[in-house]
Amino acid sequence: MEHEVSLDRVYSPSKDIVARDVMGELIIVPLASGIGNTEDEIYTLNETGRAIWDRLDGRTNLREIAKSLAREFDAPPGEIELDIQGLIGELFHRRMVIAV
Amino acid sequence: MTEDFTTQQEIQDFSLWDRMKEKRACYSFTIELTARCNNNCAHCYINLPAGDKEAKERELSVPQIMDIADQAVRLGALWCNITGGEPLIRLDFPEVYLGLKKKGLLVSVMTNATLITRDHIDLFKKYPPRDIEITVYGATRETYETVSRRPGSYDAFMRGLNLLLDAGIKVRLKAMAIHSNLHEIQKIAEFSRAFTKDYYRFDPQLHLRMDHNPARNEEIRRERLTPEEIVRLEQSDGERKNALEKGCDTLIVPDFCKTGCNHLFHCGTGNGDFVVGPDGMFRLCMSLCHPDCVYDLKSGTLEDAWQHFIPKVRDMRTNNQEFLKTCRVCPIINLCLWCPAHADLETGRLDGRVEYFCRVAHARAKALGYTGDQP
Repeated sequence: MEHEVSLDRVYSPSKDIVARDVMGELIIVPLASGIGNTEDEIYTLNETGRAIWDRLDGRTNLREIAKSLAREFDAPPGEIELDIQGLIGELFHRRMVIAV
Repeated sequence: MTEDFTTQQEIQDFSLWDRMKEKRACYSFTIELTARCNNNCAHCYINLPAGDKEAKERELSVPQIMDIADQAVRLGALWCNITGGEPLIRLDFPEVYLGLKKKGLLVSVMTNATLITRDHIDLFKKYPPRDIEITVYGATRETYETVSRRPGSYDAFMRGLNLLLDAGIKVRLKAMAIHSNLHEIQKIAEFSRAFTKDYYRFDPQLHLRMDHNPARNEEIRRERLTPEEIVRLEQSDGERKNALEKGCDTLIVPDFCKTGCNHLFHCGTGNGDFVVGPDGMFRLCMSLCHPDCVYDLKSGTLEDAWQHFIPKVRDMRTNNQEFLKTCRVCPIINLCLWCPAHADLETGRLDGRVEYFCRVAHARAKALGYTGDQP
């Protein structure tokens, strides 16, 4: 699925997945068909991914999320923006997030 | 992209399992939606008539089931088996199924497939189950309906199975090997393996009724294979034989026997999963329904059952010398169906000795060439 991630857009978790915290780890369980190759697959996010995911509230655009993370982690905003675009592109491709 | 942010894993490779096991977290549970069934199999340990009003009145409501599922999810549960009785006999099955899926659970359904409708297919296509596990009672109409004791059930089974297969829904088939279908158990295996190449299992060991109904227990005993029949069957099935031999090599060792211990439970019961009965009674495993080993989730919490009740049950002990000198120290216990739960169903005692199980275990040991000392 081709999609250019825009930092000015708002993204939110898809209703076709359920995200859960299990023992401190974020896992994404496919709910609807078409996500994953089999029904036996689940997904986890790394630490960076988790920090971004937790801010996908359906109201804040990616640029604002990047600013917030840059402040919190004292990191260059440009680098954070690249991370965010990478994650959202990956999740969008997997149908785990939607553009609002 | 600077890195991979998501890791995709098949559930058996999930790295969290080890941590969950260390913490004795809950990772799965089984919910028996009902004890009622539209079939009337003689060998079944739970089935009650489809129209049994008292049984229906005792069943958990959808909100009660969802409340238990919420608690299970909070404990970490990742997958759930829906079973019965026949779970599809409940008209609110779709609501339960989807409700469990929406909690982030991977859901399996165990069914006889005779009540599958196109609405179920639409539901499973949109929201796929982990798998649908179906019991095959016979490969022919005559045998199937001899077992199910319901005319028309074979055609209903085939229709349901074909609806699932045509829709591409993952189906797994299994069988119980009993007297009524023993003559065509190979045909059942061929039939099943034709549809599910990666998975087929049969079970030749029947356990008794959870409601202790003496007349129904007698029917189960009549359906049980003799130890010799069980061994012959297992020896003729390569996969089964290999599994037993592997178990024999790795488990039948003198050190395995806890000779100095009077704990009843040495199995994995209560470690990682649990069962909820149709009436909301929490059990540590499918077979364990002794009154001292069940917990009412309608008046208590799953957290309490998990954290406090399970350890109490697992700490139960016995001073029954007959048991301590036989089953407790038996070097072929791993070839035996004996466990406290089954002992209770058979004898009314968690430490009772079950002659039939003993004969099956010894026949298996002989067939596998095990010659160690056996009580």
